[in-house]
Amino acid sequence: MESNLPEEEIVARAKKGDQAALSQLVLNYSDRIYHLGLRLTGSHQDAEDILQETFLIMVKKINQFQGKSSFYTWLYRIAMNVGLRKLKSKPRKYEHISLDDPDFERVSSEAASEWPDFDYDIVNDPLFRQKLDRLIERLPEKYRTVFILRDLHGLSTEDTSRILQITPSNTKIRLMRARNFLKENLEKMLKAEMQP
Amino acid sequence: MKLDEELLREICEYMGSDLNSAPCKIIRDHMEACPNCEVYINKIKKTIEIYRLADQCEEIPDKVTRNLLTCLKLDDPSQTCKK
Repeated sequence: MESNLPEEEIVARAKKGDQAALSQLVLNYSDRIYHLGLRLTGSHQDAEDILQETFLIMVKKINQFQGKSSFYTWLYRIAMNVGLRKLKSKPRKYEHISLDDPDFERVSSEAASEWPDFDYDIVNDPLFRQKLDRLIERLPEKYRTVFILRDLHGLSTEDTSRILQITPSNTKIRLMRARNFLKENLEKMLKAEMQP
Repeated sequence: MKLDEELLREICEYMGSDLNSAPCKIIRDHMEACPNCEVYINKIKKTIEIYRLADQCEEIPDKVTRNLLTCLKLDDPSQTCKK
């Protein structure tokens, strides 16, 4: 199959049962869906399950895709539903926490507490990445999902809202709270890492 | 402080205002002179950057892609899902 075909054409061919077009869609999106599952669940095994189930549904239901939204929005919505179902089927790893808006009193004194100097290479350390995973897993799902879609996958507020079926305002509020939670805790983590 | 246009747009979007509106002008004027906001915003940016970089370190294993194509019968129709 020609690699430079527009996505609409690939989808149209896939809807007619063209195996090469279906394979192309799978290869185009498998990496993103795998990462979505990995960040959502923190488990490689669960990420693989989510990946397989998402594409099984895609192959089965691609005829129902009417092109009212972009293909990736449709696919991400399937993946997110599969992922959230997977999360619900497992015991919660962490106590539910409630997140508030940033403490704006504290924001006004941020300058007094710069982050310690660190090298971004720190993310190459698997142990550090494990700690990042644990941190994101402490975020309740409704915040984690928004952070993953908006900040890690670079989706727009509108697409994120469509996928999660929440209002754009809700998306923005959840993102702000998620970012603030991660920032606060990452700051503590980095300070601990940098201590001699 | 160097004004971050993209961020300003996001803040104004959040408030439901356009960039030339009065609330946005207030934010713009404040951000241009506020070191505290700058530190706060930089920390948020670094947080996102660290998570993005960590994501890039985790590649999808080849075996997972192969299993997926097998499961979908897109490589060999006689095979079924397995891990």
